[in-house]
Amino acid sequence: MRIEKCYFCSAPVYPGHGMKFVRNDCKVFGFCRSKCHKNFKKKRNPRKTRWTKAFRKSVGKELTLDYSLEFEKRRNIPVKYNRELWSKTVEAMKKVESIKNKRQARFILNRLKKGKELEKAADITEVKKNIHLIRAPHAGHAKQLEDKMVQKLAEDVEMDE
Amino acid sequence: MALYNFKKIMVVPTAKDFIDLTLSKTQRKTPTVIHKHYQIHRIRHFYMRKIKFTQQNYHDRLSQILTDFPKLDDIHPFYADLMNVLYDKDHYKLALGQINIAKNLIDNVAKDYVRLMKYGDSLYRCKQLKRAALGRMCTILKRQKQSLEYLEQVRQHLSRLPTIDPNTRTLLLCGYPNVGKSSFINKVTRADVEVQPYAFTTKSLFVGHMDYRYLRWQVVDTPGILDHPLEERNTIEMQAITALAHLRAAVLYVMDVSEQCGHTLSQQLELFNNIRPLFANKPLIVMANKCDVRKISELSEENQACDRLLAHRVDTKMKTKKVHDVLNRLHLAVPTKRDQKNRSPFIPEGALLRRKAMETNAPKRKLERDLEVELGDDYTLDLQKYWDLMNPEEKQDKIPEIWEGHNIADYIDPEIMKRLEDLEQEEELRAKAGEYDSEEESEDEEMKEIRQLASQIREKRKLKILSSKEKDTQGSRMPRTAKKVERATLEKEMADLGLDMTDKDDSHYARRSRSLVRKRKREVSAPPTSRTRSQSASRPPRDQSGVRDAKMLKKVKTMMKNSQKDMNQQGRKGESDRHVFDVKPKHLFAGKRKSGSTSRR
Repeated sequence: MRIEKCYFCSAPVYPGHGMKFVRNDCKVFGFCRSKCHKNFKKKRNPRKTRWTKAFRKSVGKELTLDYSLEFEKRRNIPVKYNRELWSKTVEAMKKVESIKNKRQARFILNRLKKGKELEKAADITEVKKNIHLIRAPHAGHAKQLEDKMVQKLAEDVEMDE
Repeated sequence: MALYNFKKIMVVPTAKDFIDLTLSKTQRKTPTVIHKHYQIHRIRHFYMRKIKFTQQNYHDRLSQILTDFPKLDDIHPFYADLMNVLYDKDHYKLALGQINIAKNLIDNVAKDYVRLMKYGDSLYRCKQLKRAALGRMCTILKRQKQSLEYLEQVRQHLSRLPTIDPNTRTLLLCGYPNVGKSSFINKVTRADVEVQPYAFTTKSLFVGHMDYRYLRWQVVDTPGILDHPLEERNTIEMQAITALAHLRAAVLYVMDVSEQCGHTLSQQLELFNNIRPLFANKPLIVMANKCDVRKISELSEENQACDRLLAHRVDTKMKTKKVHDVLNRLHLAVPTKRDQKNRSPFIPEGALLRRKAMETNAPKRKLERDLEVELGDDYTLDLQKYWDLMNPEEKQDKIPEIWEGHNIADYIDPEIMKRLEDLEQEEELRAKAGEYDSEEESEDEEMKEIRQLASQIREKRKLKILSSKEKDTQGSRMPRTAKKVERATLEKEMADLGLDMTDKDDSHYARRSRSLVRKRKREVSAPPTSRTRSQSASRPPRDQSGVRDAKMLKKVKTMMKNSQKDMNQQGRKGESDRHVFDVKPKHLFAGKRKSGSTSRR
């Protein structure tokens, strides 16, 4: 039993799911659901269809080149079963997985940082331009004036004393 | 040759079918439209044609039957005799004769009526003549019902007869019933004759073919013969006798040594002597069968006729005259020896070993099949035990294949631990370098405030846009100053904008500005006691006039509200407002269920 990758969207295809298409040149295409299958039949390029992993990787939205990604690779030469090796592999898998996830998350976070800065700048300009919608221009002026007057009076009184 | 065309005889239809067939054919294949007013010769021709057509059809078909069926005088006497035995020569000939007569009668009828047709002077007369002619022909045929049925049965049986070629090399098996003739033929040829413990299992002749000395031999199996005179024999035995009489074959007289067939050896001998005359001119072998049950050596010495005895597994060396002829013409060419070197055939060692093992009956290694038989229901095919692993005790392990959506096989690598170490080191370095530190959003108060203000601004903007969308732009627009602005709303708005709106009682908008203005304009102000004013003052407001008490007032109010409910809920301006705000809402018409069959989601 193997979990295949969908040709179009690169999602995992569990056994008993999806469809396979064998072309006349003997190349096999597996699909996870009819959405991907239909898109394929429409001759859409997965590298240009925005919701697929292939697009995201090709355009740099996801982590592509990393050592942790080199661990999972389809191997064509089988290795004879060896209990020790297998159990070690399972443990290693778990660790590699956690590291990989961390790195992928960090990559996306870094990518989105720029957005935060832009947001900040946009807020500042917004406030500068449209503050009149929520604050009258002379909102606190009356109070200020009053305070000033009070202060002046107080000073005067002091001076008189 | 008539011999091999028994399968090619045309189907003989029943009388009824025959009639239906021909009449419907006449109707289809001849013109059908005729009118009274046609010229008489045309009418006559029309009906004559029908009569002749029917006659032609009958004639053709009956002739075909007559020619298809074999004439007993023309075929090989073996077949003639066989057919006599099976179908009775006389009956057969009679049936065919009847058919012939019928054919002639039909021809005569047709001839007569065609002649009479010449004197038909109206459509009706001609039609009646035609009816009469066709009717008579059909009656003639109806009378042949029995013959036709009989011939159909003969045809079916004929087609199923085994094709015995009376002229080739043949071996004929005969003897008492149940001696083992059918078993012999099953063993020696590819025939599949039924073998059962009761007598007369074989009820007719069967043929099998075998190869001997690169020649094809026919082996004919007969039903058993009992010992009584020729006249008393039944059809089944007669078939055997016929075969014996006519086929030029080598005869194998099969005897049952063990007497399992139910007849003693002496009885069998009697029979043998009785049919001896049939064996004239034919090579004869007496076969002692079933000698695994009772060995030949156990036989008493009385049975001297069993001089030449063969075990039934040994090859039968048959020589008919024909074989001799052929042998004279054959010559086997052998290459001349070049030198005296001995070139014996090469037999590989494995074959020799195997041959030895077969002979010595050595115990074979335990096969899966033996294991299966031993364990019965508990047996499971376990191929893992044949695996060749480094540690054989791991053979029965259940190997994991998938973990959390990943194939373990993709990670298997003898150096995986080393690579994992490298990866972890890398990770440590990165963590040290501070890549994974979560950045505190060190925003100062100012920034926070700015953010909050920005969000407020955005919200306010959206609300304004919405409210401006709700405005009725179709109707006539009143200038802003025409509407009275409530004091409360004004003060609220300004307060929201941050201005201080407390104690504004003596502001310009809060005073009764009109009265002030009036006072300025006029010197003398008229007291507000004119009739209209007082009337309007004293008139009760509309929602209180006619209402007795509070309870009634409440009820009235609810009634009013209820009556307005429908209109309000529908959101219509009035009765004539049939405007639909959203004819095709997107959420009902999008996606796969978009054909309009969804009324809610």
